[in-house]
This record gives sequence, structure tokens and C-alpha cells, in this order.
Amino acid sequence: MTDILEIKEAWKTYKMGAEEINALQGVNFKLEEGSFLAVMGPSGSGKSTLLHLAGILDLPTKGGVILQGKNITELSGKEQAHLRRTQIGFVFQRFNLLSQLTAEENVMLPMIKPDKKKAREILDRVGLKGKYDRLPTQLSGGEEQRVAIARSLANDPLLILADEPTGELDTANSRMIMDLLTDLNREGISIIIVTHDPMAAEYAHKTVEMRDGKINE
Amino acid sequence: MSIYRLSFKNLKRRKLRSALTMLGIIIGVATLVLLMGAGTGMQSYMKDQTETMMGDVSIYNSSGGAYMGSSGDSYLNPETVSKIKNMSQLYDVKEETQFTTELNRTPLYVLGISNWDQVKINGTPGVVIDQSLADKFGYKIGSTITIKEQEFTITSITQQGTGMGMGIVFLDVDKALPLNENKVSSITASARGDPEAAKKDVESQVPGTMAMTQSDFTKQIDDMMNGLMLFIGAIASIGLIVGVISIVNIMLVNVTERTREIGVLKAIGFTNREVLGSILMEAGLLGFIGALIGLILAAALLQLAIIFFGPQLGMEDITLIYMLPPWLILAVVGGATILSILAGLYPAWRASRLNVVEALRYD
Repeated sequence: MTDILEIKEAWKTYKMGAEEINALQGVNFKLEEGSFLAVMGPSGSGKSTLLHLAGILDLPTKGGVILQGKNITELSGKEQAHLRRTQIGFVFQRFNLLSQLTAEENVMLPMIKPDKKKAREILDRVGLKGKYDRLPTQLSGGEEQRVAIARSLANDPLLILADEPTGELDTANSRMIMDLLTDLNREGISIIIVTHDPMAAEYAHKTVEMRDGKINE
Repeated sequence: MSIYRLSFKNLKRRKLRSALTMLGIIIGVATLVLLMGAGTGMQSYMKDQTETMMGDVSIYNSSGGAYMGSSGDSYLNPETVSKIKNMSQLYDVKEETQFTTELNRTPLYVLGISNWDQVKINGTPGVVIDQSLADKFGYKIGSTITIKEQEFTITSITQQGTGMGMGIVFLDVDKALPLNENKVSSITASARGDPEAAKKDVESQVPGTMAMTQSDFTKQIDDMMNGLMLFIGAIASIGLIVGVISIVNIMLVNVTERTREIGVLKAIGFTNREVLGSILMEAGLLGFIGALIGLILAAALLQLAIIFFGPQLGMEDITLIYMLPPWLILAVVGGATILSILAGLYPAWRASRLNVVEALRYD
């Protein structure tokens, strides 16, 4: 198995006034293609920061992030955006759908080539057949999260990054979302979830624990 | 679903806000088009009229006197008139005379003309009085009017007037000349060859004359109107600028409100430039749609003005085409759109520079 993501001795330092906060303190981490990883840990342990580095939403202060053999710190902003758009799918705790767009339009939004048929197929796949024209306000939380997962699949990504995907859902909906992610993983998409929820973490092949900006495996 | 279609959706999402922001542009554009349109309309209408009514060359006494309707107290003497009539460069030579008199203590301006196109009622040669005289003395078509102790039968009544409490009577020049001791105020003629050359010939060969060509008249109209239009345009543009400033303001609010959404757009892979473009597009659309509505509003108001005030100003046959030439439409709509896009620059730049991680945390 090849590694699709490698984080090498990554540091992330924020300045809060005069104080410096080290969100990551020399994190080393590799992700094999096809894996399903859960990152757990208390608030402020740096798990979201790690996810942001993995998804090129942020760059390390020190160290490297290698995605598919490319060191993202060496890429231009435009190349980073392109990589984010084509290789990575994001799922957020608060769904973050665009409220003015229908389910179908939300899925089509990131597509390089807008394809209505494909958007509907993806929505069918996440169990939202016939709800293509619903606005986010006309959907339940679980349905919204499924639209968000559908959106993350728009450009056939290699990697899905989910930040507390079940954080705002009840148990039944949480299970449904985790089942869905498990299915996608079986189809070959690598997945990292950041979660507080032990039930969600059970779905992963492997769980790592973060504390004080470091990984305790 | 491209990010640019999102711009449309965003305008529709906040209909009232978009409409109110556009209102500034609508009022600005409507005022600008209304004033500039009226000015442009008058200018090109006057030039058009000059071309249809005047001969190639108009000749006056060199003291200036009697052109463009000013009262004629300086005349061309008979010797001069016959010299002009005999010039081979000129043909279709027409005399005109004008004088003032009184009718029951009402000042009367009598114009003896040969070009009846000038009297825009039906162009029928005869005795035409203006509406103010008809109102004052109860004249009708067929009534008798006495000018300098001679009686004439009124053949027509025109809306054209002096607007200065003075009555006007249009007569055939043949009838008017004897009333004015056969004194000729001006002569218009067509030129064989270049009117400019004919003008120079007249002025050099006939002493005591001053000649003007059509282009002299149109130049005079331009000189008079261009400065005025610039002034009007500058004043009216203030409204548009205020409208544009409101776009800066509202786009800043929009961008701040949508911080999270912009974070999401970037997280799912849109580049800074695409985010910038979509905000500029939104600002541009506000300006463009506002300008179109303003233009339509102004056109409707101008059309109403034509219907209600056209006849009073002696411009019955002026149309909207005079007032809204393509250059004015393009300049105003294009200008408003470009200014609106410029107004969106700062908000758009701010949006595109947002830090994704912070934007995603924004509530």
C-alpha cells in the first residue's frame, strides 16, 4: 500500500497577543491509501489543526505535508486550491451547505464540469433519491449531512476529511452517516475523521489519540 | 452550477436589500439619463431643424442684428439685396423680414417668411398666429387681424410662441415686406459648391454683410449646449456616485455575513480569484440591473415629457431617438456597471483574502 498523505515533523504555532500557542508540536503521521482513520482527543489537542493541514486549508509553520507525493508548502495558492477541489472532499460538523442552493446544486457546485446526472446519482447513492430540489432548510440534519457527503464526492476524491461529522446528529443519524462513510471507504476512498464520539470512532480501522499537539498512538 | 451563477442567487436571496441598493443606482442613472437625454435631444433636434430649415447660407447685416430670432432693427439695404440676388454662387435666394409692432397695446412680432417648414402647424402658407394671441383676443381660423392698418384673414394657429408675452404673426414674406417698408432682415440661399466658399464670397464681395453657414449654426448650438451638458452631467453624476458608494457598503455587509460561506467555497476548492470574481460579478450585476431599470424609467419619463411639453416648446415632432442616442445608453449603462464593479473591488479583495480556517469558524 502506498501512502497518500504524509505529515513530517509538522509544527503549527499561533500568536495570541504576546503568547505563542503550539497547536502542533512536531507531528509525524502517514496515511495509507484506502485506510479509515479516526483522530480523537480533547478540545485544543490539535486534531482539527491536523485535519486542516491534511486538507491544505492551512500550512504548517514548520515541517512538511506531502499529499500524493507533492509537498503542499511548495505549491502556489492556485495549485493548492486545485488539489483541494479534485483530490479532497470535506465534511464539516455543521454541514456548511449553501442555504440558497438546492441539494443538487450544492453537489454540483464544486464539480469541475457541472454534471446534473452525476449529481443525482451521487444523491441517490447517499440515500436522497427524489430530494434533489430541496433546499437545506427543507432537509433534516441527517439529510443535510448526507448532502454534504454527496458534495464531497462531486469530483471523485481520493481522500475524505470529516471534522466531527456526527457532532450535531442523534444516534440513529450518526450511525447512518458512519455507515455511509464506511461504504465509501470500501469503495476505495481513504477517510480521516476527527471526532469526540467513541461510537463514530469504532467504525474506523485505526484510532489515534492526540494530546497537547502530539499524536499518542 | 458555477460560482458565478451563485452571484445571481445571492442577489435573489436578499431581494429587499438588493432592491434598495439598486434604488440608489436606479435614481442616479434615471436622473443622469433624464437630464442628459433632454439636453442631447434638444441639441440634436435643434441641429436637425437647422439643417432642414435653413438654406446653406444665411446672410445678415454685418452689425449682427437679426439672426436666431433676435429683433431685427438692422436691415440689409436694397442695393445689398440685389447684389446678393445676382451672385452666381447662390440660388434659391429667399428673403425674410421681421419687425415689431403693437396690437391693442400687445407687442407683436411679425415674421415675413418664405420657408413655411419653419411654422410647424401644417406648413400652409398664409397668416398664422400663435396660441397666446388667439387666447387673448379670441381669434379663430377665419378671423380678421389688423397689422399696421391692413387686414388679414387668419389661416392657422400655431403652438409655437415667444413665451415672453409677445404675440407672433407669421406672414408670407411678400405680404410682410410692404408692411416693413420693404426692408429685408435676412436672406437665405442655397450655395453652388462649398457653402464655406459661398460664405466667404458673400462677405468679401458684398460689403456690410455677415454670412453664416449651417455648420456655423450647429457649431454655435454645440458651443452653447456642450458646456451646459457637462455641467448637468457633473451634477447628475453625484446621484450615481452616491448609489455606487452604497454598493461598497452593502457588499461589505454581504461579504461579512457570508464569511463562513466564503470559507466553505475555498475549502471545497475555489481559488481566491474565483471568489474575488464572484463578488465582483455580484456588485456588477447590482449596477447593471439598476442601470437598466433606471434607463427604462428615464425613457418613460422622457416620453411623457415629449407628449406633454413637446408642443409648448415647439417641438411636436421630437422623438425619443433624439434624446437617447446609443452612445448615451452605452456610456451610462456601461459606466454604472464599471463603477459598480470598482465598488465591489475592496469587499471582494477582503473576501478573497479571508483565512479559510478562521472563516469556517465564523458564526
